[in-house]
Amino acid sequence: MTMKSSLSLMAMGAALALTGPAWGQERIPPVEILTTTESYDPIRYEGAFIIAEAWRELGLEVTVSPTEFSTLLDRFYTQQNFDTVIMGWSGRVDRLDPQFFLGTLDSRQTEPGANNPGGYVNPDYDALFDAQSREFDIEARQAIVHEMQDLYMGDVPVVVLFQRDEVVAYNHNTFGNMNAMAGEGLYSEWVPMEAQPLTDRKVLRIGGPQEPDNVNPLASTSVWGWKWMRLYYDRLVRLSPEVEPLPWAAASVEATDEVTIDVTLREGMTFHDGVPVTAEDVAFTFGYYMDAEYSYFNAYLAPLDNVEVTGDLTVRFNLKEPSAPFATISLSQIPILPKHIWEGIEDPSELTPEQIPTVGSGPFTFGQFSRGEIMTLETNRDHFHADEIAIDGVEFMIYADSEGVFTGMQTGQIDMTAWRMESGQIPLAEANENLTVISVPDFGYYHMTFNLRHPAFEDREARRALTWAMDRERMVNVLLDGRGEVGTTVIAPVNAFWHNPFIERFEFDMDAARAGLEDAGYSWDAEGRLQR
Amino acid sequence: MILSPSLREAFKPLRLMLQDRLAVIGLMVLLFIIAMALFAPVIATHPPRQINEVEDGSVLARGPAGWMLQPSLGPVALNGAAVAGGQALIVGRDGTVYERAGQDWAPVDAGTGADLNAVALRDDGTVVVVGAGGTVLLRSGGTWSEVPAPAPADLRGVDWLDGAAAIMVGAGEEIWQLDADTGEITELESPVGRGFSLRGVARDADGTALMVGERGLAIRYDPASGDLELERLGSSRDFNHIHISPAGAALVTGERGTLVRRDAPGARWETEPAPDTRALRAGWIGDDGHAFAVGRNGIVMERDTEGTWRLATTESERHLRALLVEGDSALALGSDRFVVRLAAPSRDYWFGTDHLGRDLYSQNVHGSRIALLVGFLGAALVVLIGTNVGLVAGYYRGRTETILMRTVDVMYGIPFEPFALILVLLFQPSLLIVILAVSLLTWRTVARLIRSQVLSLRERPFVKAARVAGASDLRIMYLHIFPNVMPLVFLELAIIVGVSIIAEATLSFLGLGPPHSVSWGGILHDARLSGAWRTAWWWNLPPGILIMTTVLSVFFISRSLEVVANPRLRARQ
Amino acid sequence: MSRRTYLLKRVLQAMFSLFIIATILFFLFRLGLPDPTAALITEGLNAEQREAVRVQFGIDKPLWHQYALFLWNAVQGDFGVSFAYRAPVAEIVWERLGNTMVLMLTAIVVAYAIGVPLGAWLSWRRGSRIDTVGIFFGLMFRSAPMFWTGMIAILVFGVWLTLMPTSGMRTLPYEADGFFDKIFTLDFLWHLILPATVVALYYLGSPLLIMRNTMLEVYGEDFIEMARAKGLPERRILYNHAARNALLPVVTQLAVTIGLAAGGQVVVEVVFSWPGLGREILNAVRTSDFPLAQASFLVMAAFVITLNLLVDVLYTTLDPRVSFK
Repeated sequence: MTMKSSLSLMAMGAALALTGPAWGQERIPPVEILTTTESYDPIRYEGAFIIAEAWRELGLEVTVSPTEFSTLLDRFYTQQNFDTVIMGWSGRVDRLDPQFFLGTLDSRQTEPGANNPGGYVNPDYDALFDAQSREFDIEARQAIVHEMQDLYMGDVPVVVLFQRDEVVAYNHNTFGNMNAMAGEGLYSEWVPMEAQPLTDRKVLRIGGPQEPDNVNPLASTSVWGWKWMRLYYDRLVRLSPEVEPLPWAAASVEATDEVTIDVTLREGMTFHDGVPVTAEDVAFTFGYYMDAEYSYFNAYLAPLDNVEVTGDLTVRFNLKEPSAPFATISLSQIPILPKHIWEGIEDPSELTPEQIPTVGSGPFTFGQFSRGEIMTLETNRDHFHADEIAIDGVEFMIYADSEGVFTGMQTGQIDMTAWRMESGQIPLAEANENLTVISVPDFGYYHMTFNLRHPAFEDREARRALTWAMDRERMVNVLLDGRGEVGTTVIAPVNAFWHNPFIERFEFDMDAARAGLEDAGYSWDAEGRLQR
Repeated sequence: MILSPSLREAFKPLRLMLQDRLAVIGLMVLLFIIAMALFAPVIATHPPRQINEVEDGSVLARGPAGWMLQPSLGPVALNGAAVAGGQALIVGRDGTVYERAGQDWAPVDAGTGADLNAVALRDDGTVVVVGAGGTVLLRSGGTWSEVPAPAPADLRGVDWLDGAAAIMVGAGEEIWQLDADTGEITELESPVGRGFSLRGVARDADGTALMVGERGLAIRYDPASGDLELERLGSSRDFNHIHISPAGAALVTGERGTLVRRDAPGARWETEPAPDTRALRAGWIGDDGHAFAVGRNGIVMERDTEGTWRLATTESERHLRALLVEGDSALALGSDRFVVRLAAPSRDYWFGTDHLGRDLYSQNVHGSRIALLVGFLGAALVVLIGTNVGLVAGYYRGRTETILMRTVDVMYGIPFEPFALILVLLFQPSLLIVILAVSLLTWRTVARLIRSQVLSLRERPFVKAARVAGASDLRIMYLHIFPNVMPLVFLELAIIVGVSIIAEATLSFLGLGPPHSVSWGGILHDARLSGAWRTAWWWNLPPGILIMTTVLSVFFISRSLEVVANPRLRARQ
Repeated sequence: MSRRTYLLKRVLQAMFSLFIIATILFFLFRLGLPDPTAALITEGLNAEQREAVRVQFGIDKPLWHQYALFLWNAVQGDFGVSFAYRAPVAEIVWERLGNTMVLMLTAIVVAYAIGVPLGAWLSWRRGSRIDTVGIFFGLMFRSAPMFWTGMIAILVFGVWLTLMPTSGMRTLPYEADGFFDKIFTLDFLWHLILPATVVALYYLGSPLLIMRNTMLEVYGEDFIEMARAKGLPERRILYNHAARNALLPVVTQLAVTIGLAAGGQVVVEVVFSWPGLGREILNAVRTSDFPLAQASFLVMAAFVITLNLLVDVLYTTLDPRVSFK
């Protein structure tokens, strides 16, 4: 089969060589693939070259530009100055709700700086996006979400290259009951609450190469800040390890209608300084966040109109529009801040590291944060969940790089890794009899986004053909050593409820790619270059 | 031999150099490295960035210390196996068939060259083999025959049903039933009809057949009624294989560590947590729930009768595709093309391979090119700028000198290494930027040295004489003064070649070298980045030794040039 | 020209150099590096929110305004607040500089303490096999890239023999009250040995060869001949007369080396995960942390310039042959 079709292609090439370029056809302009540098991410770097090689075979002129990550972000999002880019979205728990990832293809996100730099515009898709956002019936919403995936897949504005497994490890001699969570690995908010000490040392030691930018809940823009702060701040709702919303600081969350949510707080909660947690604090916090010039949570607060205090322990959230993810995702992200401490702070973004208040009401209390070295927490014995917590505290060792983390694991300095191990370390960890290695599937994804304004990518058929020419299986098998999954849709298969398994797959097939181009009216000139 | 005096003068450095044993060694080593760079494509054994993969008829046998690699059954992958009635068969790519003969496996000529994917063996020794392009082979009574297929389907699974019937499934959702007596194939209509790939089929305890395929597809076929019905196994993962024990315990294996198990006919299908998330290609389960599953990257997992899956120790990276279990003995078979990762030096890979199976010997050989290119081009650029600035400043003096030398002063205030790094970061790595980064600051030394020499030379009588004779400034500078600073220029050139080579290696080591190039520093960068350098010493050692040797040879040469440039030293030797 | 005017002139020149470098740096970074808020997109911040961050960072103002502000603040010793750390840059830079210097100075001192006497001795045994071997090894360590010797050292002493720690300055967790509390411990020394040895080996060649070569030159000078004629023992001539006179170039080289030390050896800091200034500047540039990158680089440049100045002063003081020009 392969032989025959490539023969026919050669024959066609020969025929073209005799007749000269087909009449009126122009060469497709060269394309540049932007990707990360090898040091930033060797996988995306090598992946770009795998794609480039196949595309060159299709007669496209391709250059690969490994780019420093900040420049890459700038060119992709801010300037939209790219042909095609290999990028990634990390899988944060709040992104398990399909809202965020589906939003990256919303045509209202195409302006510079927003999340759809490729410029995919599909009114049907936008309409479905709004519909799913308003749909409170979960089955009905699932159906819409599935339909959206099917809808965009045919147009391939973005190709999900792969989902990469996070491979983490813990020391099974020091702590037990360590359950990894999809997208979070071991450094989830539940592991410190569930871990069982197996030795006399009851302080869980975590090691990682990243640290928070700061621990100011009004200024931190790093996921590493929030991964730490969520341990000592409470939220109204927490997402369970199975990623279902559990009432937490809230005793109950009830939607009285589509735009009104009544929340009753748990009784007897206090902040770490002994002051009781009341409805005033909750209303203050949400108001404070809405008033802040910017914060990590603005997107979650967008549907919120106002928060009323309706009793000592009851608050009412009034929404501007119905929002399915609000009660689950938004309420599970915003920390409850003590009003008596924060109301006196005029401009919270100006706080120096020493001035930042660290009083929350969470299951742990803040100990210290020494930049580049260590962060500590102690278990809050007054917390309503304290009886379930077996450890006395948490220490987070900040290492310079993953080499340091791995050495820490090997020498028993730390009990678990906060971040994935490098591929070369995995076999060594597996061989270490003290360590248990876990592969955790991710629902974040690595993608190639086409700039739909570029002449090589404006045509749907061309994009489809170029997608067939991406050997994503090879990327997973060779570059990830099998520890990952060939990409399907922006909603990962591990997110089983929302993922639509019955979408078009575009398995690597150069013949299909050529045939697709031919059918769409493309041809090859005497030098074998693609033209239309 | 009679040489003109000036020519003799020009050869003097060379003659002096040849008297210095270290310099001679240095020169020879450098020539060797240059030859290596020039002939790199010829002396490299592999393309330096090629990911080396090997296909192999691998057999792993279960033993007390894990699953051990047995002698290979040849160069092609083994895809399927069957055992029954004391006989055992293995099939593989390119029409490969092996039959067990005592302790060994004997090749069998089945009369086809097609890739064979699956085999089913009946207790009476009747064999059916299926493969690509609609290949269906039947062996009964010791003779092989090919059954004409209704379509060139890529057949993936086969099993015997009761009587003479066999059921086979294909990648285009084909479901065929073979009557072994008549040799006829009946096409059955799938209840799905979307062209989904079916990959495995097994006879269930009640005589029906259960077939599995991609996206969690499972179809039950009842040969008695001829009905085909969808069955839900509770997963939408791609299934690769199904095995059902005589009593009806069943195990379905699939992509992403998918393990779906059923205790007995009619029991619920349970998805079991697998200790690895990579693809599983084949499984086997006994009546007591003892089970195996094998998959990519040498994964073998074993389920004890308590119900816990554990990863077994295996000694291989190979992709396992089939299992052959008989009593207590078990074999895992493979392997399609696998990457020769982190292989120690061997006859095929002289310096071993890296984490992507690329040949390190070839990378080291090719690495010499960038090192020398940057080393010599960078040094030439440095000397060119430095010498001219020095000449002009020293000769003209006055405001020209002030401006030039103040510039040099400012440059002396800039730390070299951080500046080079920043420059490359600002402009994105490319060969040109790397050369510029290496040379943009280093010319300051040359300029200062040359200037101070020129300052004294311009007062010498021969310069004054030339000026009186009406020679132009340019002529005096380049024809009269320049030849006198030549030894110094050569000395600086040699030193800066060494400095540039190290600087390039440093940039590449930090990941700032020209992208997708092969360089010594880059090899070390990859080694550190992968985390595998702790074990793979063959990855670390050669590039460093090569950098060191090259730079050392240049330094030896420069040392003897120093003797030429500095007459005071010369006098004493 | 009097000595005082000469010195004044040199100081003014040094300050001018620093000003030029600061200016080049400022514009190089602002024009060459991407928007520092671009990285916030992946954290989910939209364009408006990022604009608010830009205002907070002070990079929304016109370039010349930022430049003037930068110069004015820099003169007062205020380098602003790091974008990434949200903490005053000066604090971070001083701490990192301390870490770098303690490593580099140790290495340099060791290298010169061994290299200088060794070089003198080699000159004494000039032409012998020992001399050749000494030169060979001196040059060899100079030729081997430090990141490689570092990796090999880690492999052998850290991984195979598991004798030495391979990353960082201290074993975590530890408690230390300030910089000196951190470094005056055995644990710190333990962490210092490998990186300092690697750097020292690299630096060893230069005092060794300079000492040897200048000694050879000094041997030819008249006063040595005089001493010889007086019949003084060779060893005494070597150490009392020759060595003393040969020290000047070595001291010069030492000063230059210390000046460059602030820039650190980025690769050594990377390989040994040493939290020094060189690694910090690399990160700062990569994340477009302008204030931190500028301040780090300026500190390095200031160090180089000061030490170069010191060398000049040293020359005018020690070597009467140099005239003030």
